[in-house]
Amino acid sequence: MIRAAVFSLGGIRTGKIEDYADDLSAYFRELQPDLAVLPAYSSLLLCAASGRLQGEDSFNGYCKAFVREAKGWNEIYLELHSELARDNKLFLVAGTTLEEEGGKVYHSAYCFGPDGEICARQRQTHLSREERAFGLSRGGELSLFEVAGMKAGFLVGNDARHPETGRILALKGAALVIHSGAIESGAKRVQPAGIWAQVQQNQFWAAEAQLKGALGGRSFGASSAVIGPCEITPDLSGYLARESEGRPFAAAELDEDGRLRIKKSYPLLKLLHPAAYRGRLPELYG
Amino acid sequence: MALDGWKERLYRQYLYWICRPARLKRRLAALIGKGKTAPPPDGQHLRVAALQVEIELFKDPLDYADMAHRRVAEAVAAGAQLVAFPEDNNLSLLGMLPGVEEMGEAVSEDAVKESVEPAAPDITVAEVIRYIGPVLAPFLDLLYSTLAASYGLYLMAGSFLLPDGERVVNRSFLYGPNGELVGTQDKVHLMPIEIEWGISGGDEFRLFETAAGKIALPVCMDATYFETFRILELQGAEIAVLPIANPEPYNYWLALRGIWPRIQESPLYGIKSALVGNLLGFEFTGRAGIFAPVELTADGSGVLAEVDSPEKEGIAVAEIDLGALAELRRDHPWRDSNPALYRRYMPRLYRSL
Repeated sequence: MIRAAVFSLGGIRTGKIEDYADDLSAYFRELQPDLAVLPAYSSLLLCAASGRLQGEDSFNGYCKAFVREAKGWNEIYLELHSELARDNKLFLVAGTTLEEEGGKVYHSAYCFGPDGEICARQRQTHLSREERAFGLSRGGELSLFEVAGMKAGFLVGNDARHPETGRILALKGAALVIHSGAIESGAKRVQPAGIWAQVQQNQFWAAEAQLKGALGGRSFGASSAVIGPCEITPDLSGYLARESEGRPFAAAELDEDGRLRIKKSYPLLKLLHPAAYRGRLPELYG
Repeated sequence: MALDGWKERLYRQYLYWICRPARLKRRLAALIGKGKTAPPPDGQHLRVAALQVEIELFKDPLDYADMAHRRVAEAVAAGAQLVAFPEDNNLSLLGMLPGVEEMGEAVSEDAVKESVEPAAPDITVAEVIRYIGPVLAPFLDLLYSTLAASYGLYLMAGSFLLPDGERVVNRSFLYGPNGELVGTQDKVHLMPIEIEWGISGGDEFRLFETAAGKIALPVCMDATYFETFRILELQGAEIAVLPIANPEPYNYWLALRGIWPRIQESPLYGIKSALVGNLLGFEFTGRAGIFAPVELTADGSGVLAEVDSPEKEGIAVAEIDLGALAELRRDHPWRDSNPALYRRYMPRLYRSL
C-alpha cells in the first residue's frame, strides 16, 4: 500500500524559491506521502513569480518568454525538486516544464526518486490546437517506471483527454497513472472526461494534480484528486480524496489488493474485443 | 436441454398464432390514426427522443404493441424525428411463456444473480431465446417497421436478444421513415453475465448514412470502451444511438462510466435509451438522455436533455445540430492524434490480450 498526495499549488507561496520549498516541505511532513505530484506549468509558475518573465501579459507571451529562459531556468527547477525529493525521501513529480531539445520544444514532466535522481521523464504526446500553433512537438513514448514498487506511467496535460494513452499504459501493466494537468476555470465541468474516465475504463489508480491559480492572464481552477475504480469507494465515485477549499492537496492510500480484487471480479480489459477494432482503427493499426 | 419436445413445439405453434401478422396489423390499424407525423430531416437540425421504458411482462403481444405505439406517439407529439427504444426491448415478451412470472416471484435475488435459471438449471437463456426468437423476430419487425412508416420517422427499435443461426445475439434495429430496415448492429462488448447466458458478440461496428445523419448503433457495454466511439468518429458517425439495460441500482458515478465520457473523447451526439424496472429479480436503472460534446451545450455540461428518474418511465427530447458538430470537428480546440505513438504500442498490446 502506498500513500499518494497531489497538490494544486493554490495558496503555496511561489514568489521566492525558499518559501515554495518550505511550504511544500511542510505539507510533505504533514501528509507523509510516498509519492507527491505537482500540477502542470509548475515551472512556468515559479519562473513567472521569480520575475523572469516580466513584460509579458498573455499566456502565450509567458510561454514564449519561458522558452527563451528555459535552459537556464530548468536547471534551477530540476535541482530544486531533486532536493525536495531527497530531503523528504519521497517520489516527487515536479509538475511540468517546457524544454527545447534538437530544435523542438516539448511539454515534459519529471519524476524524482527519494535519492533525488530523475527516475522518469514524460513528454506530452497529444497537443491542443493552441499548443500546436505555439510550436510544441509531440512526444513519441509512453513509458512505465516504478514508484514504491508500483508500476506507474505519466499523462501530461492534454494527454488525459485522449484515451489511447491510458489504454497503452494499462495494457503495458500500469497500476498507477500520474497526471499533471491545468484546466481553465471555465472548463471545469469536463474534468471527469479526462483522468477519471481513463481510470474507470482501465481500472488503474490515478494521482491527478491540477493547477489552481492564475498564470499569464488565465485562471486555472480544476480540483486535484486521488482516484480509483468506482467500486473501491463506498459512494462509488472512485474519488479516494479530493482537494478541498483552502487546502491545496488531496492524499490517500492506495489499497492495491482491493484494486486487484475489483479487476478480477469485473475484468474490463479482458473483455476488450480487438478483432472488432482491426481495420477500423487505421490510426492504431496502420 | 433443448426445448424441442412435443409440448414445446405445440406451444410454439400457439405463440405463432397470437403473434400472427394479421392480428398485429388489425391492432395497429386501430391504434394509428391519421394524426401528426414527424417532419422530414433537413440535414442539419434534428429533434431526437430517448425513451425510458419501464419493463413489464406481457402475456399478449398486442399489449406490448400498445406500449410501443403509445411511446412512439408520445415522442412524435414532442416533435421527435428520431426515436430510440432501450436494450433488451423484447424481454417483456417473455411474458408469453408459461411460468415466467412465477419464476420471477419464486427465486431469490441472490440466486438470480448467480444464474437466471435456478428453477430449471438445465435450460440456458440462449436456449429460451432460440425457442421463442423465431416467433418474436417477424412480430417485432412488423411492429416497428409499421410504427416508423406510419409516423414517418427514424425509429431505433432498441436491441433484441435473438437467434442468428447457431448464435444468439443482442442486436439493435434501425428503421427508416418508409418502414425500411436501415440496418442492424450486434453488441460487440458483452457483459460477463451475457457470456454466461450464451450470448455471442458482434465483430464490427456499422455506420448508416441516412437523411437524418450518419447514425451508429452501439449497444450498452460498447460505451464502456473508448475504442467503440473512436471507431465511429473515424468512420464519420454523427449520432450514436445507444440502448442500455443496466442491471444494477442507480448510481450517478456508475452511470457516468458510459456514453458521456465517450462523447467527450470522440465528439459526436449520443442518444441513450434506457430500460428500467424489475424483472426476474433484476433491477434495471438508468437515465435516458441526449448527450453532446461540452462545447456544443450552452451550460458546458455535455447534457442536452435527461430523464429525471432513474427508475420510472420517461422521455428525453432535444434538438441536435449536425452543422455545429461538423464545425467543431473541423477546428477542434483540444482533439489531437498521434498515429506514430499508437502504431508503436497498440497492435502489439491488443494482440497480447
